[in-house]
Amino acid sequence: MTTISGASRLLDPRLQKLVTRGLVLVAAVVIVLFPLSPSASAQNTVILALVLAIGASGLNIITGYTGYLSLSQGAFVGVGAYVGAILATRFPDVQPMLWAPIAGVVAALIAMLLGLVTYRSRGPAFVIITVAFLFLVQFVAIEWVPITNGTAGLTLPLSDWPDAWGNWPFHLALVLLLALSLTLTWWIRRTKFGMGLIAIREDEGKAGTVGVNAPVYKLLAFGASALFVGMAGSVYGYYLSFVDPIGMFSIITSALIVLAVILGGRGTLFGPVLGAFIIQPVNNFANDTFGGGNARLVIFGGLLVLLVILLPKGILPTAAALLEKARTKGTVGLSGARLNPLDRLLAPADVRPPAPTGRTLLDVRGLHKSFGGNHAVNDCSFTVPEGSITALIGPNGSGKTTVFNLISGTMTPDRGEILLNGERIERLSPWSRAHRGIGRTFQITRLFREMTVLENVVAPLREFSVRQLGLGAVSGSEAARAEELLEFVGMSAYRDAPAGALSYGQQKLVELAQVLMLDPKLILLDEPAGGINPTLIERMGDLIRALNAQGTTFLLVEHNMPFVVGLCDPIRVLARGAVIAQGTPEQIQKDPLVLDAYLGDDYLLEAPSQSANIPVVERNPA
Amino acid sequence: MVSLVQTLILGLLVGALYALMASGLTLIFGVMRVINLAHGAFAILAAYLTFTLWRNLGLDPILSIPVVMAVMFAIGWLVYVLVIRHVRGAHVSMTVLATFGIALVLEGVMGFIWGNTSTAVRTSYTDASLSLGPLYVPQAMLITAAIAALVIGGLYLLLNYTWTGRAIRAASTNEGGALLVGVSVATVAALTFAIGVATLGAGGAMLSTIYPFLPGTHYQWIARLLAIVVLGGLGSLPGAILGALVIGVGEIAATNYLGAAWPVAVPFLVIIIVLITRPQGILGTRLREDAVA
Amino acid sequence: MRKITALRAIVGIAAIALAASGCTADGPANSDTVTIGASLPLTGEFSQGGLDTQRGYETWVEMTNEAGGLLGKPVKIIVKDDATTQDTAVSNYNNLIAKDKVDLLLGSQSSLLNIPASAVAEKNKMLFVCPSCASPDMFSRGFSYIFFSQQAVASDQAKVFAQWIANLPPDQRPKTAAYPALDDPFAGPAVDGAEKILSAAGIRTVYKDQYPTTTKNFDSVVNAMKDAGAEMVVQGAQFEDGVNMIRAMNRAGDKPSIVYQSSSPTYGQQYLDGVGAQSAEGVFSSASYNSIAKTADNAEFVKRYEQKFGTTPPEDAADGFAAAQVLAAAVNAAGSYDDQAKLADWLRANTVETVLGPLSWNSDGSPKGDFLVGQWQGGVSQVVLPTDVATTDKVLRWQGGVI
Repeated sequence: MTTISGASRLLDPRLQKLVTRGLVLVAAVVIVLFPLSPSASAQNTVILALVLAIGASGLNIITGYTGYLSLSQGAFVGVGAYVGAILATRFPDVQPMLWAPIAGVVAALIAMLLGLVTYRSRGPAFVIITVAFLFLVQFVAIEWVPITNGTAGLTLPLSDWPDAWGNWPFHLALVLLLALSLTLTWWIRRTKFGMGLIAIREDEGKAGTVGVNAPVYKLLAFGASALFVGMAGSVYGYYLSFVDPIGMFSIITSALIVLAVILGGRGTLFGPVLGAFIIQPVNNFANDTFGGGNARLVIFGGLLVLLVILLPKGILPTAAALLEKARTKGTVGLSGARLNPLDRLLAPADVRPPAPTGRTLLDVRGLHKSFGGNHAVNDCSFTVPEGSITALIGPNGSGKTTVFNLISGTMTPDRGEILLNGERIERLSPWSRAHRGIGRTFQITRLFREMTVLENVVAPLREFSVRQLGLGAVSGSEAARAEELLEFVGMSAYRDAPAGALSYGQQKLVELAQVLMLDPKLILLDEPAGGINPTLIERMGDLIRALNAQGTTFLLVEHNMPFVVGLCDPIRVLARGAVIAQGTPEQIQKDPLVLDAYLGDDYLLEAPSQSANIPVVERNPA
Repeated sequence: MVSLVQTLILGLLVGALYALMASGLTLIFGVMRVINLAHGAFAILAAYLTFTLWRNLGLDPILSIPVVMAVMFAIGWLVYVLVIRHVRGAHVSMTVLATFGIALVLEGVMGFIWGNTSTAVRTSYTDASLSLGPLYVPQAMLITAAIAALVIGGLYLLLNYTWTGRAIRAASTNEGGALLVGVSVATVAALTFAIGVATLGAGGAMLSTIYPFLPGTHYQWIARLLAIVVLGGLGSLPGAILGALVIGVGEIAATNYLGAAWPVAVPFLVIIIVLITRPQGILGTRLREDAVA
Repeated sequence: MRKITALRAIVGIAAIALAASGCTADGPANSDTVTIGASLPLTGEFSQGGLDTQRGYETWVEMTNEAGGLLGKPVKIIVKDDATTQDTAVSNYNNLIAKDKVDLLLGSQSSLLNIPASAVAEKNKMLFVCPSCASPDMFSRGFSYIFFSQQAVASDQAKVFAQWIANLPPDQRPKTAAYPALDDPFAGPAVDGAEKILSAAGIRTVYKDQYPTTTKNFDSVVNAMKDAGAEMVVQGAQFEDGVNMIRAMNRAGDKPSIVYQSSSPTYGQQYLDGVGAQSAEGVFSSASYNSIAKTADNAEFVKRYEQKFGTTPPEDAADGFAAAQVLAAAVNAAGSYDDQAKLADWLRANTVETVLGPLSWNSDGSPKGDFLVGQWQGGVSQVVLPTDVATTDKVLRWQGGVI
């Protein structure tokens, strides 16, 4: 065994945990008690840093978790400050601090408006919109003179508490808001809601197919990102005792907030706070030492550029990665381990498929889909009986994946209908279909790479309810169910591995577990046997059979004919966008249309896998 | 009626300047998918260079254009190699932040070198106009329009009739394919960025004769330029021209018919409305990453 | 989970570092010199005015130290740059008071910056003599430490001019007027005040609008004014926008007979260079200052300023000098500066002689007095109103011709 050297003792997780817990406690105490400091200018710095930290912590929710970069976070500080100031001047007898909650709610509502914009724009377009949004809010503040007093700004009364209290009320209010903001961020990360947000960041399209109602999630995230920021803004305005459109809506503030998030490490809990407490003193220092203006611009601009090039992940994640590297030096990761055979057979030989109920689960009628001049799906119609394992086969380019996309909601058809249990679903969003019981895997697996395997499986949302969103992701009933599913597919050993580190075959199994989380009635599998080794193919077959025995209907797209024949009963053959033949495997093999389009005249069905009872068919002479 | 025609004249002329300045931005985006938030700052830099040449050497801005363009080309290449190159393939947020950082640095540096008071170049044509009956055509703007046509025309010829231009277009549509056919994509990227910044050499030079400027003016410009390329379609040169003319006329008309405060809002309203209703702009193609699944 | 512990460690360390920096008290006060602190826009949109004001302050410090200092002690002034940003101005004053422990304060330049800055002074119970606080908003807050060291607030800036125009015989009076103004707490009220008087006299308002600070292209504004057919233009300007308006008017061939601009024409040579001598000819402005007026210490001030900076002092420099004179008068009268409420009370009860003339105040700190009206004539800035202190008896139209 390895001897425990001094260095590795330092890296011992338990010791680290203890030490860092202690440090965080000290830090918290220092920050809370800061107004005891004799230095008034340091107090001022800390107050400004707290505002920045709250802004950054809020931004973390939409940029860190959800992956939408916003250059308008500063606008919500300004909105909060204005709401506070407007109410304070209208109702001079009320303590201005009491307006903070209202300011927060208004900021959250306006942020949700911005969130609505994301329905139509992502990526670079969204960033540009946030810049335009910021300036537009500034414009409204300047022009709406009756409410905001325009460029003259609004002055608030000076604080009316005893001199001895000094800055304590401001300080404590902001500390409270920061604590609330951090708690919210921490809580979100631990819930299904948070998993969904990260899923949206990783792969918004895929997130939709696992029931993550992206628009609603994003709306909530935007609201959450601005709630405490607006409150902090109102306190900040009172502290300055003056709000004006130019100062409150400066793009530099937004840039500083983004800088804080990125410097500290986006998506981490304390990263934005750390970033803010580094940047604010640097800001002050630049102001004082070099005399404002230009020096500040060069320093922050340069910092931004250097950060993006050298430390894009931020301080905390980079440091964590270094520590992790040091600790795991010489150890072997999980991914190379062989997939063990399952301890128990999933589907004993006597598992029978359920008796057919005779009902049609999925009914596809007259589907059409074109891309430009290419008619990928051209009047495609077929049914999937309830309780069956149906296969959809056909040559490449026949439109199979497009049909899947149309069924799962990733695309909408030009014409035609899709009925699930008699209900028309062709115009529904992907998540609505997921909530109605359609699950789907992808030919090229789409897992949320930065999340762990367990988190990937917890992210799907069975049905939309606020209660569901709040369920814990790392512990509790959802996590327990996810673990069960992981064990079912045989991937429980990889529970904490990042999904991106898995091999293709392992990812396919995890994707299946994800889909099962939805409790689906119908599972669409896009080439489940493609690109994996024979042992795994067998396991796939077993899993499918076991699930089918419990009542799940399957629709497969496959090229592996033995696999199909051994597993599926009704087979639909797709060619050039339309179904050309349907029937049992025996019927399909003999159908001349099918042979011509796909199987080929000299097709020979080889011996199927052992756990099914399908007779071997002779060679069909040409 | 006269007022309407005068508005159109002023709007189209100012639009020509905008088109000149936006052409580089849309080119850079089209090829590299980089939103160059520093574009406005580069323009102001070119204006300052022109001003220095004019003040110290007495060189007329029009004559200094080749010099300024060459200098801006070199600066563009340098900035590409030092910064942009590293973030080119990264997530959009990284490129946005990197170029924003460059803009801040440029603003600060310009402030150090040239100070923060308003500057303008004054020549024989900056304050004079041609009269056409009741209408007037400011001379500086007319000259600018002519230069804009020249430079944009040259850019168009470059992109469509030279090997370099074809390489640029190839790299923009299919980088992998371009690599396979022997196009050095890295060099093409640097070239494109440098050309995009070089066009600002002409734009900034003429800007110095029309508008007073100081380092902080670049925010206004980048907002306007973004609105233009968004309206015209990110990556489309004809789109940028169209968008520029529309916004030019829009701003002047807004002052006349709505009030002097409104032109400020025009770029922002355009950006938001276009990106929500028709994200690909008038003439652009829909980006895959922008499409809602 | 280990990631998180590592992160927390680093957070802890950073916070401790910050805490350490906060444990030391701010620098000790030096009692051998009198330190004055001020924040000024040395960079950014109002930098021209900021720089001029700084020069005014510095000239005063130099001259005062040569004459023996303030209360027998040498004077030092600390000027910080707020980059025409209100937050920074607030920060600067907070730092000046708490960190640099200045004994006295002087104001920043422009109402925009002084509105929040004065609140800091008020909170800290320090006298705030302000060289450019013309916005009426400044004095409606019930503050007791603020004093504006010019003759009148913005709404009265153009009063003397407007009254004179209103009293012209009908055939010489313009019939229509345009009122473009910068969206600014000073420029806006200045023009509003003028419009009230002029429209009451029957001069029709054909154009009135506010343009944002960032406006650089005035062609469209001029287009609109020209369309409306204004015979007189009264512009609320700061500096650049005034220059650009004139240039745009030339380009458009717009030639109203009377042009008034607040503030901008008082920038002396800068203004002349900006618009050209021919376009400056006949432009009216309200001035708090004139370099040839025989006011307290003016001759020495002008001489020293020309020596140091090579040009006649522009208005902002004189305003700065005057603010320092007001501050010094209060301090000298009270004999100390520990209780600044006493200084404030003294100012309310007394008149101070400055390079701008005699200044005195209402209880809210707004000044009682009237501005001079100046006009550029032949490249020289002359005082034309009130007629009893005028330096010339000609009054011109814009770009030449007697009214």
